[in-house]
Amino acid sequence: MTETAASPMPQLGLTLRSLVRADATVLLRSRQALILNFVLPIIVLVVTNRGRFGNPGFLIGMAITYGLLSSALIGYSTTVARDREAGVFQRLRVSPTPTWAIMASRLGVQLATNLAVAVVVMVVGSIIHSTAFTAGDYLLILVVSLLGAAVFLSLGQALVGLVRSATLINAIGRVLYILLILTGILGSTGILGDDFKTFASWTPVGALINLYSAVLNLVPWGSDETTALIACLGYIVVFAGIGIRWFRWDPQ
Amino acid sequence: MGDAERPAILEVRELVVRYGSQTAVDGLGFSILRGEIFGLLGPNGAGKTTTLSVIEGLKKPVSGSVSVDGASPIHAPLAVKAKLGVQLQASSFQAELTIEQLARLHAGLYGLDLPRRALRDRLADVGLEQEAAKPFKKLSGGQQQRFSLMVATIHDPPILLLDEPTSGLDPQSRRQLWDRIERSREAGGSVLLTTHSMEEAQAVCDRVAIIDHGRLQALGAPGELVAMHRDDPRVRAVARGDVTLEDVFIGLTGSAIRD
Ligand SMILES: Nc1ncnc2c1ncn2[C@@H]1O[C@H](COP(=O)(O)OP(=O)(O)OP(=O)(O)O)[C@@H](O)[C@H]1O
Ligand SMILES: [Mg+2]
Repeated sequence: MTETAASPMPQLGLTLRSLVRADATVLLRSRQALILNFVLPIIVLVVTNRGRFGNPGFLIGMAITYGLLSSALIGYSTTVARDREAGVFQRLRVSPTPTWAIMASRLGVQLATNLAVAVVVMVVGSIIHSTAFTAGDYLLILVVSLLGAAVFLSLGQALVGLVRSATLINAIGRVLYILLILTGILGSTGILGDDFKTFASWTPVGALINLYSAVLNLVPWGSDETTALIACLGYIVVFAGIGIRWFRWDPQ
Repeated sequence: MGDAERPAILEVRELVVRYGSQTAVDGLGFSILRGEIFGLLGPNGAGKTTTLSVIEGLKKPVSGSVSVDGASPIHAPLAVKAKLGVQLQASSFQAELTIEQLARLHAGLYGLDLPRRALRDRLADVGLEQEAAKPFKKLSGGQQQRFSLMVATIHDPPILLLDEPTSGLDPQSRRQLWDRIERSREAGGSVLLTTHSMEEAQAVCDRVAIIDHGRLQALGAPGELVAMHRDDPRVRAVARGDVTLEDVFIGLTGSAIRD
């Protein structure tokens, strides 16, 4: 301990670097994160693509979408809720770290992981379907994946913003996950009728699957795709708004 | 001690803090001088941790003010936090990280880019070199305390806030902590600690404040408090033989158990 009254403010660069390194390590060391992020989309891909009951772009898009959804709604939100409950955030917040940096680091690491998963799923998908995607396809898929990740992370953020208990967040996250996937699947197949299909195309999962299909040139860009884009942007604004506005850092 | 000319490094004035409708801190005020070791004593639920939370910038008071080396944790939270070394009563660390990784993270958050050797040295300093690859949760209670203390002092802060730092420590570690606190004072650092051990308060604190229900009950050097309250009937009633600091504490705060 020294008498120097000047305790210099840490450089923001070092702060962010330290946080990102820690958050990335947490993600890499967590088996749950690995399964939710990588294993699940690959399983979805392999299972759904065996029967070839759809076009590759749609199926690959669906696999990435489910990966994004589970990594945000189950992975991200439960980890944030658990760390908040355990007092991890309290310890971080007594250090001279801006709270936005704590969140930005977590979100940034999530987004980077999601993009890596999207690439892996595309590569595996192109092998299964023995098609080669162009660099342009990859780029478009990454852009849509970024959009999708933002939608689902906002949704996860809204969940941890509105609900305090980690156990409850876990339960709600799972229920939401199943609901969103069901509407996505049932809607896109059209077996529940046109009205439901229209409704589904406005849900986060439905909108995203439409966008994936569109960017892989399976369908020409049309009103469905514009709808999907607007829906996604709307979800991001609304859910991120809720998640940031009502987020509480304290454990109780 | 020449208190008059020594500047206060930490000042708490008429602090009021509520949780919902419950008032946890009720008009509390005290100040800590540069180089002073100050003890905050009080029964469970007296408002010690809550007071520290306001100084740490974790909790906003209803009214009153706090000044840390001239800065307010409400108006300049990051500047205040950079000056503070904090050991929380209940804190936890990311379960997936080893304590070496955690040490690196927190060093970084306080502006120190420590190489591996330096991190190991810091861990060795609190006897945790062998545990470097373990996560925090796999440490024993006392080891966890020592790790938290290491994190609190990683940037040599001018002010240390320690919330029950010796609970769960063995006598050796406790003595070691006292030594560290003494050394920090010699280097000009100030310490605010809470404790339930009157022995500890007497051994290390220059002055103590006894608080109850969020209000100040007594303030002074441990010896002074004993002298001042020796003849208080409430203190006499609980004393067994010579009046001790513990008798003063129980006399002033009552002998009922707190919830
Ligand atoms: N997060 C919280 N929400 C609601 N009430 C709280 C919260 N934290 C503390 N309290 C209440 O505020 C009062 C003061 O609590 P505080 O933790 O400051 O006591 P303390 O002096 O640190 O006690 P201990 O010696 O047990 O650590 C208590 O009555 C407690 O029940
Ligand atoms: Mg306490």
